[in-house]
Formats: sequence, C-alpha cells, structure tokens
Amino acid sequence: MARELTVMMLTWEFPPRIIGGISPHVYHLSKSLARNCVKVYVVTCDFPGAAQHEVVDGVEVFRIDSYKNPSPDFATWVYLMNINMQKEAAALAHCINGGVDVFHAHDWLVANAGIGLKHVFRKPLLATMHSTEIGRRNGIHFDYERMIHETEAWLTYEAWRVVCCSNYMVSHVRWAFGLPEDKLIMIPNGVDIEAYAKNSNDDLSDFRRRFALPEEKIVLFVGRLVYEKGAHVLVNAIPKVLEKVNAKFIIVGNGYMKEQLSNIVKNMGFAHKVMFTGFVDDETLKKLQRCADVSVVPSLFEPFGIVALEAIAAKSPIVVSDTGGLSEIVEHDVTGVKVYPENPDSLAWGITKVLLDEAYADKIKTNAYSKIQEKYDWNKIAQQTKAVYENILKEYSKSFWA
Amino acid sequence: MQAIIFSWEYPPRTVGHLADYVRELATQLVKNKVKIHVVTYHDFLTGEYEELEGVKTYRVTNPVRTHIGVLTWVLTLNQEVERAASNIYYKSNAQVNLIDAHDWHFISAAVTLKKAFGLPFLYSVESLEEHRSHGANSPFNMAIKSIEWLGMYEAEKLIVKSEWMRDEVYRLYKVPLEKVKVIPPKSVNWIKNILETYQNVAGGKAF
Repeated sequence: MARELTVMMLTWEFPPRIIGGISPHVYHLSKSLARNCVKVYVVTCDFPGAAQHEVVDGVEVFRIDSYKNPSPDFATWVYLMNINMQKEAAALAHCINGGVDVFHAHDWLVANAGIGLKHVFRKPLLATMHSTEIGRRNGIHFDYERMIHETEAWLTYEAWRVVCCSNYMVSHVRWAFGLPEDKLIMIPNGVDIEAYAKNSNDDLSDFRRRFALPEEKIVLFVGRLVYEKGAHVLVNAIPKVLEKVNAKFIIVGNGYMKEQLSNIVKNMGFAHKVMFTGFVDDETLKKLQRCADVSVVPSLFEPFGIVALEAIAAKSPIVVSDTGGLSEIVEHDVTGVKVYPENPDSLAWGITKVLLDEAYADKIKTNAYSKIQEKYDWNKIAQQTKAVYENILKEYSKSFWA
Repeated sequence: MQAIIFSWEYPPRTVGHLADYVRELATQLVKNKVKIHVVTYHDFLTGEYEELEGVKTYRVTNPVRTHIGVLTWVLTLNQEVERAASNIYYKSNAQVNLIDAHDWHFISAAVTLKKAFGLPFLYSVESLEEHRSHGANSPFNMAIKSIEWLGMYEAEKLIVKSEWMRDEVYRLYKVPLEKVKVIPPKSVNWIKNILETYQNVAGGKAF
C-alpha cells in the first residue's frame, strides 16, 4: 500500500488557543482530513496548559515556544515567533525523514516558516489566505501595513496554489496581489453541524434568564470588537429597533473598540438593554446562539463570515450586511436577511423584520439550515482540499525538485 | 571540505569591519582547499552570483521591500538566505560540511538548516547587541539578544576575536568556555586555527 499523504499545517492558532477564525478552521480541516486518510501534523503556538505534543482527533499537534519577551509591535512578534516555528517544524520534518508531502500555511502569520520550509525541504507550499491587510485596514496607509501587505504578497508568490474561502476573497486576493487566475482555488469554510445538534433539545430557559428578561427578544452579535466587524453599526441601530420591539442586545467578544462602544450605549441611555459579555467559552457561546431570536453580522469587511454559519447551525435566523463572503452565504429573503453595509437604519429594518414576523424567521432559518448541510460540510471540504494536495503533487512530480 | 559562510555585509557592500574580514577569510580558506560559498545581501551593486579568487558568492535580496526597522528587514531576509543555502546544499549532493554564520543576522537560517539537514554551524562573533546598544534593553534589543542567545545555544562552536569577547560571551550568555575559540584576526596562526576549528565542527555531529 502506498504511504498515506502527509501534510504539515502551519498556523499561529489552534484550540485551545483561539484568537480568530483560523483556529477552528484548521482544527476542523485537519480532523476531517485525518478521517479522509491524510496524515496531518499541525505546528502551532503554545498556550497555557496545552501539551507540547498531543494527538487530537487523529491529528498530531506540536506546540512551539511562541516568543514571550515583550515585542516592539505585533508584526515583529510574528517574525520572531516564526524563527521558532520554522526551527521546530524543520526538526519535526527531519525526524519523520523528510516525509512531508505538502506544507500548508495559514495566512501571513506563518509566511516566513512556510516559505523557508518549502525551500529547505523542496516540497510544495499551499497557502490559505483567510484575510488581507489591505481589506482589514481598508487600504494601505503606513509602512507597517505595507510591510504586512508585502509579506502576504510574498506568501502568495511562493505558494504553489492559494486557497480562499469565498468567491469574493478569490477576486479580492487576485486584485490585491496580482495573481494569475489559475493560481487561486475557492474552497468554502465549514461549520461543525453535529456540535450544534448535540444537546439541542435541552431546556435553555434558565440559561436565557441570565442574559435577558423573558419578554425581551435576544439580538446577538458575536465577533471581535474591531472596526471591520461593524459592532458600532449595530450599536447605532439600537434606538430604531427598540422603537418597535422590546429587545436585549448581547455583544460577545473583545477588542479595542469595547470601551468606546459601551460609552455610546451609556450615552444613549440604553445600558440596561445591552450586555457586553467579553469572550465566552464555547459551550456558553453555542447556548447563546441557540437562544438568539436573531443573530446579526454587520461586518464592513468579511472574507467569509463563519459566525453566520454558526448561527445558522444553531438554528437562529440571521441578518447580515451585504458584503464579502456574507453575500454568498445568504440569499436574501430565502436563507436570511441582507442589509446595506455600514447603514444602521437598514440594519434596524432587517432586525425588526425578523423579530416581528415569526413565520418569516422560521422560514429563513429552516432554509438556511438545509443549505449549510449540503454546502458547508467539513467532510466535503476536506475531500476538496485533499484533491488540491493531490493535484499539486501531480504537478510537482514533473518538476526538477521531485 | 565544503562550507557556506553567512554574512550580512560583503564587498563591495561594506558597512563595517566585517565585510573585509569575511572576504579575507573566504579567500584564505579557498587557498587552503576549502570550497567556500558566501551567502550575503544583494544591494544591486553586483549580480546574483559571482566568483572571485575561487570564492563563490551568492547575493539574495529582500522579498519584502517595505520595513519598519532593521530587525524586520533581517527576519524576512532569512528565508532567502535559506533558499540560497538549500540550493547550494542540494547542488553539492549534500556534501556541505558546515555553515559559518557571522553575527546574529542569519542565525535563524543557520538553525533551521541544522535542524533540517543535521548540518552543524559555527557562530563567528564580531560584536554583541549588549555593546552595540550600550546596555539598552528595549523589546528591540531584547529580540536581537534572544537571537544571539539562540545562535550560541545551537552552534557547535563559537569563534571570537579576542579574549575580552570570550569573557563577555561567557558573562552575558553563559556559554561554556570550551565551546568558545579565541582566534584574533591577523594573528600568526590565524588561518591554521580557523581551519582546525572548521575541521572540528565538520567532524562533529549537529545533533
């Protein structure tokens, strides 16, 4: 029997270290690849209490010392962390006898390590671009941002293929880095439907009372409190929603805008209608998503919009801004409500529509649920990814490195 | 014997003492029948590759053009150094015996190549961040010191140019003294001592 396909994933976050969407993405992708007979090694940053080496759902996870001295700035930390990541990954690849077939790097955060390993071991590099600096910052304004932008360009240049999780991101990445069309591949992000289906019949009324009064509808926002996620758009929509519906706004997540947002809420006199929970654990989050009468994703820039899929899996109706990957997930009036980005009035309209019309809310959430089952299933995504690895290796076998 | 020398400066690009020292070293080693590849930074004064007095020189340039300081510049340049060194390594059919890294700049590349190929390296210390920054300890200085530490920890041997530097290396980084060779430039047995150290490192295993 042929040796199984071996992939080394490089990622700066992997559970229990969760900062953004890359961590759950790499976890589910790796686990589902392992189920599809791919040997996966994940090399990632360490986390308090997490083992240096462990096997998680059939995936070999190695955690590296992520450089813990104070750093001049985030980007410099990233490059310093990459020294260690590359060193440990090289030692590991050496131990398994150079037996890695493909290095798979997730975002510029591991660009240096991925590119270095590619040349040292002469194996193909696949890059998944989860986001871009030019998108996050809505343009490149400073040298610091340009340095990150150019690091992203470098990674896409060195990669054999570049994976993006939506058609929107494919065209965005192509535009941002001037890549040829046939270098880009769209594979959607997925959602773990089973995890949401588990315990879905539990009575959550006691749990719900911790967050809202029984007569209040719950409007849920989940995301980092940073500009591009648009929590401020939701906050500005609050008065308009409350004119028509008695609701409680629950805002889950942390970020540099938290204090500013809670001040706006206080000044509006709606502090009793809004709850900032900060970061919550996975179980609480899933319960909250199940309790939500509507889930809102008001992003200004959204490469994919995993939080919308999670809300759908929790059987919550969704209202999203018509932008980026969200535009592709939602079909207006069929699987959710689309509103104008950065427009509080439009957002308030969408939220009220869902909250006031129960039959409509039921219809969109049922439609959305059946759609994610067919399109955003991790097993299917793993098979698509495996096919990409195999195609790359076929091309690679004709190169002088092989 | 075959060696790769890493130096961030090499003539015609001269920043400090190091450039001329490394050229003299490379030339003398070639005369003593060591195959020498120098990997250095390309500043558009020369082409990517040149051969002068038997020394093969490979110049790489930074793929990330915009930087916020020398530290980020160095850190993204390392992958290009790795690429050039790997190409030399594969082209020689894995016949390279050691890497000689001058100062902290390309320590990351040397360490990765050691882990990947089992290729031992020498760390030749020209100067230390502690002295260059007069004891400053900002996050920036700390980062460079941590790279110097990594180099001293992972290197097979250190070559320093004075007894004072040997004591400083010991004082600052607690490197065992038997790991440190003092070989002053222009001393009587300079190249002979360098050759001996090279042979020593090449014979030793990296792991």
